[in-house]
Amino acid sequence: MLYEFDYISPKNKNELLEIIAEKNGECKILAGGTDLLVDIRNGIIKPKFVVDIKTVKDFPKITYSEKEGLIIGPTITCFDIIENKLIQEKFPALVLTAKELGSTQIRNRATIIGNICNASPCADMSLSLLCLDASVDIISKEGTRRVKIKEFFTGVKKTVLNKGEVVEKIIIPAVMANAKAGFKKLKRIKGHDLSLVSVCLVKKGKIMRVAVGSAAPTSVVSDDIDSNSDFPTVWSKIEKLINPIDDIRCSKDYRIFMVKVYLERLLKEVK
Amino acid sequence: MLIKVNINGKDYEKDVAPYKNLLYFLREDCGLTGTKEGCGAGECGACTVIMNGKTVNSCLVLAVEANGAKIETIEGEAVNGKLSKIQEAFKKHHAVQCGFCTPGMIMSVKALLRKNKKPKEEEIKEAIDGNLCRCTGYKQIIEAVQDITGQLKKEEEIIYV
Repeated sequence: MLYEFDYISPKNKNELLEIIAEKNGECKILAGGTDLLVDIRNGIIKPKFVVDIKTVKDFPKITYSEKEGLIIGPTITCFDIIENKLIQEKFPALVLTAKELGSTQIRNRATIIGNICNASPCADMSLSLLCLDASVDIISKEGTRRVKIKEFFTGVKKTVLNKGEVVEKIIIPAVMANAKAGFKKLKRIKGHDLSLVSVCLVKKGKIMRVAVGSAAPTSVVSDDIDSNSDFPTVWSKIEKLINPIDDIRCSKDYRIFMVKVYLERLLKEVK
Repeated sequence: MLIKVNINGKDYEKDVAPYKNLLYFLREDCGLTGTKEGCGAGECGACTVIMNGKTVNSCLVLAVEANGAKIETIEGEAVNGKLSKIQEAFKKHHAVQCGFCTPGMIMSVKALLRKNKKPKEEEIKEAIDGNLCRCTGYKQIIEAVQDITGQLKKEEEIIYV
């Protein structure tokens, strides 16, 4: 079926980092596999080795503390996010976007970190993470570096990740706990589909942030906006951020129009 | 790689290529051809099986990833030639036409009913949103699920024009 590769399942982080350093770009990380195995099947990527990180025992899962905020590990799936009581209560934005990602079968496998590492401009999870001002810890044999999610994406399917690096966790600051959120995703069908455009809006106290997907080479997010701003003020800021394309799924004009419609609705709905 | 998998209550221990997916492992290595391949890319859900209690697209899972897992497929439904409740309901409500989506569809319904004894119509739709059906139509499938859960209000009259 698939093109031939070798499968490696490291037991812990050190082993994983040794392997990916040694294989120097000839390997791909396998988490949920819902993007990776499709890309391999389609011949887009041809890794010699596939390294499964689900067998790594010492990765973080889901934890929350006032000091560190919310931590999400690399094997956490959309399903885990949707079912988690603490996240439902404190970070509804994550649940809203996780629920809209793919189908039930995909959500049972696809990981949050895999979704952002794939760096598709239409990735659903990117939007809530951008609005929640998340960061990621990137680990390699050389050590750990922390990158804001806003700086993580560098282009279509491109991120700041170098060879030998892997995302260890997502960190969402505790100040964003209990932020109100809304999410709208335009699809061709009601069932599972990629977004034509998607808009996420998060409000916490005086701060509001809006993120837009499928409307620029990467998902984009606004700077902090006063949460009492009216629609024309917010739209004037968002308009400058987005630069959608015409493609097989819909036109540029339609995308801009629908971002505007969704933004207006979300401003009314998220109180 | 040598893997051990429990499929429909039966243990299988087989040597499998690391690049073979679970779908092909089931079909070619275990002879369980009830699970179908539609798109092979996680879009259509024809290959849906239940892995450790959760539905997955078996085309997007490597066989080696299923090492130690408990897998349920359509072959586990009928026992001694007697159809399961879900299969009976599908038959009764004409929720099967060509039948290609049915093995996956039934797995999705099975996983739903385990979690939710009385799913609302919206919840049924959500549970099967990853299963494409191109000929039966979803209405009959939804009605079959509503019948199993005792939620079908009345038999709809068939009007011949």
